[in-house]
Amino acid sequence: MASTFTGRRRAVHKAHDAAQIELTGVSKRFVTPSGTLFTALRDFDLAIGPGKFCAVVGPTGCGKSTTLTMVAGLDRPSAGVVRVGGRPVDGITPGTSFMFQVDSLLPWKTVLGNVALGPVFRGVPKKAAQAAARQWVRRVGLAGFEDHHPHQLSGGMRKRVSLAAALINEPSILLMDEPFGALDVQTKAIMSNELLGLWEQTRPSVIFVTHDLEEAIALADQVVVMTAGPGTVKAVYDIDLPRPRGAVQEIRFQPRFLELHHQIWASLREEVEAAYVRTVQGGRS
Amino acid sequence: MSESTDRGAGTGVISSPPATDEAAITADVRHTARRRKTLVWAARLATLVVVIGGWQLLSDAKIVDRFFWGQPSGIVAQLNDWVRHGTAYGSIWLQIWTTFKEALLGFVFGVTAGVIVGVALGQFRFFAEVLSPYIKIANAIPRIVLGSLFTVALGLGIAAKVSLAAVLVFFVVFFNAFQGVREVDRNLLNNARVLGASRGAVTRHVVVPSALTWIIASLHVAFGLAIIGAIVGEFLGSQHGLGLVIATAQNNFNPDGVFAAMFIIAVLALTAEGLIGLLERRLLSWRPPSPAEAAEAGV
Repeated sequence: MASTFTGRRRAVHKAHDAAQIELTGVSKRFVTPSGTLFTALRDFDLAIGPGKFCAVVGPTGCGKSTTLTMVAGLDRPSAGVVRVGGRPVDGITPGTSFMFQVDSLLPWKTVLGNVALGPVFRGVPKKAAQAAARQWVRRVGLAGFEDHHPHQLSGGMRKRVSLAAALINEPSILLMDEPFGALDVQTKAIMSNELLGLWEQTRPSVIFVTHDLEEAIALADQVVVMTAGPGTVKAVYDIDLPRPRGAVQEIRFQPRFLELHHQIWASLREEVEAAYVRTVQGGRS
Repeated sequence: MSESTDRGAGTGVISSPPATDEAAITADVRHTARRRKTLVWAARLATLVVVIGGWQLLSDAKIVDRFFWGQPSGIVAQLNDWVRHGTAYGSIWLQIWTTFKEALLGFVFGVTAGVIVGVALGQFRFFAEVLSPYIKIANAIPRIVLGSLFTVALGLGIAAKVSLAAVLVFFVVFFNAFQGVREVDRNLLNNARVLGASRGAVTRHVVVPSALTWIIASLHVAFGLAIIGAIVGEFLGSQHGLGLVIATAQNNFNPDGVFAAMFIIAVLALTAEGLIGLLERRLLSWRPPSPAEAAEAGV
């Protein structure tokens, strides 16, 4: 059933294969409301191979989220080029899904309506969109909750809906901005496993922004450490833990995991401390 | 067990022994809720009796002059007379229907225009900035004065009243729709855009439903304004309607007539308010219950 639907949709819309993401010499400057110029990103270079899971870690305010919005095409770089699948980003990047830290579900739509939004926006007939949405709702384990409204669900369930809504378009790129940041530790672990399972089936390229280094290592192929703002790439670590990873709660006790964690944390710590000192000083002046 | 009863008696909070099984607890809660409801209704009734009865007694005792301020019994008699013998301009039902029709049409036109213009300007920043000083000026004008203009230009018929009501309604709804569109969550907009929504789809699926909370809140005020527009329009010149009935009562030094018409208008407004409340509950059924409602369910 899933395959027939996919087949039909592929005929209408061009299939999105996982895309290469490249950021070359990207800078982003904002003018703050007080009129001063603020540099969020400076000379940011990063290449993410097709189908790779890339986690970005860095101190607060180092421009992690800005990177995502530029890849999505919601925002333009002040300098440099963002390329997706070899083409410079100009307008909304097609084949992208975005998962925000806060809920981006429409509170006036049911679970089914929210999940069906992607196909509906792309012009899929309502019946087909709902059928696809029903499948995805089932895939994220929410069968029976189709007619509930977001406010009737728990935080974890809402994240599941967001995940289904993001993946139903079979994106070639999945951008995630601390998607599980607001969840409690246990729910977060469950959702991470769920995400890995679903990602391994469809394999889009992922950029996953997080504060949580353990989460980053457990999920990703590649961990990017950013410097304290203005953000730039400090180091990129390849995570050679075998896939499928299995439960994220258990992988963190493996010796290789601990080794990587040590290594990356040493690098990240300097930046976190630098950023912290700066906020403390900023608060004082 | 004995310990808990001791504590209850000691603090004096628990007067009856605490219920043990679920059925008893729910029965207890329900009983408290029912008693509270009865009490509220009794107090409401008492308020009515005191106010109306006091008015009647004071005017009977000649402390309040019924020639100027009317009297409840006189108002009832006036209503009775209107229903039985009609007004000077035909049956009372015709007057009510005329006013209601004017208010309703004005309401519909005003709301439609207000929503369309509000949503459009809310989305196109440039036009909003160009037009904002003029909108502020238009809002500062005492619009009720426009009634004179409409009466001269559109005559004594229904058109002048509908126009006045529509203008009054328009601004309230417009400002709410405009603000509602401005307050739409940026995340929701970005998410829809990333998912591939066209501008029209964003408006239809995200902007309008989001602004609906604001728009519907304005409708409660708007219907009251539509009735005011219709009544003032009739005051300024008309052949039928409750405004005309009030104007006549005023000219005849008949305060009971003014109050009686006022009472009818209040009934009209409350009915409309009830209907808008129903509409609100229907359109905004997705909203979580407000803390107040949730608390009431828990009583």
